[in-house]
Amino acid sequence: MTEMPALFGLAASLARHAAARQAVVATNVANADTPGYRATDLEPFSPGARDDGMRRTHPGHLGAEEAAARRVAIEAVANDPNGNNVTLEDQILRGIEAQRSHSRAVTVYSTAMDMLRASLGRR
Amino acid sequence: MSDFSTALDVLSSGMRSQGRRLVHISENISNADTPGYRRKTVDFHAMVEAGRRTGEVEVGPVRLDRSDLVRVHDPDHPLADAGGYYDGSNVSLVVELADAREAQRSYEANLKMFEQVRRMSSQLMDVLKR
Repeated sequence: MTEMPALFGLAASLARHAAARQAVVATNVANADTPGYRATDLEPFSPGARDDGMRRTHPGHLGAEEAAARRVAIEAVANDPNGNNVTLEDQILRGIEAQRSHSRAVTVYSTAMDMLRASLGRR
Repeated sequence: MSDFSTALDVLSSGMRSQGRRLVHISENISNADTPGYRRKTVDFHAMVEAGRRTGEVEVGPVRLDRSDLVRVHDPDHPLADAGGYYDGSNVSLVVELADAREAQRSYEANLKMFEQVRRMSSQLMDVLKR
């Protein structure tokens, strides 16, 4: 029973990360023709990771709230003469990746919810 | 959840800007034979609000292409000068069509992302419904 809250927390933070990543990818796609725009992405999801590299393995640990994932620049050679380095195909693939991890998180969350309901005897 | 609405705002600004660009491209194409017409161009900037970038994109003011107009030889034309030449437009149909194709491609990418974000948020709503 004690694993359940941790499972919910993990699934929720993966869903949050995927949503934030999708917003970053959306910004890149919208700015695909803006002169001088450099594409960015979020750091990959790692549960409980914080800015200084420490990991939170217990809810009682200091700095309880998770820091937002950092943005990193996508290192790609500018393929437009105006200094824009967004590649639409690459961004669409990143968007699909974010969507898949979001739906994975939501599925885990709702399955955990079903298990919780089943253990309470209500379906 | 607010990430989703930011993403939707940003993507709709992208679609709006590409739409504006297509409007100017179609104006150029329909005026390709208008004497003295200069092709219109727009450029995109990142939108800045309260000193920081919102991620949205906006279209700058319309600018006219300053390149030379084509001199057309047609002595019968009402605008022809003594030598039989008049100024045509500086629109090149090939350039306009390529530009239109690029705008369409970017528009589609924005639309696809928009649909994807909407699917993600409705999936999240399904969890609430259960």
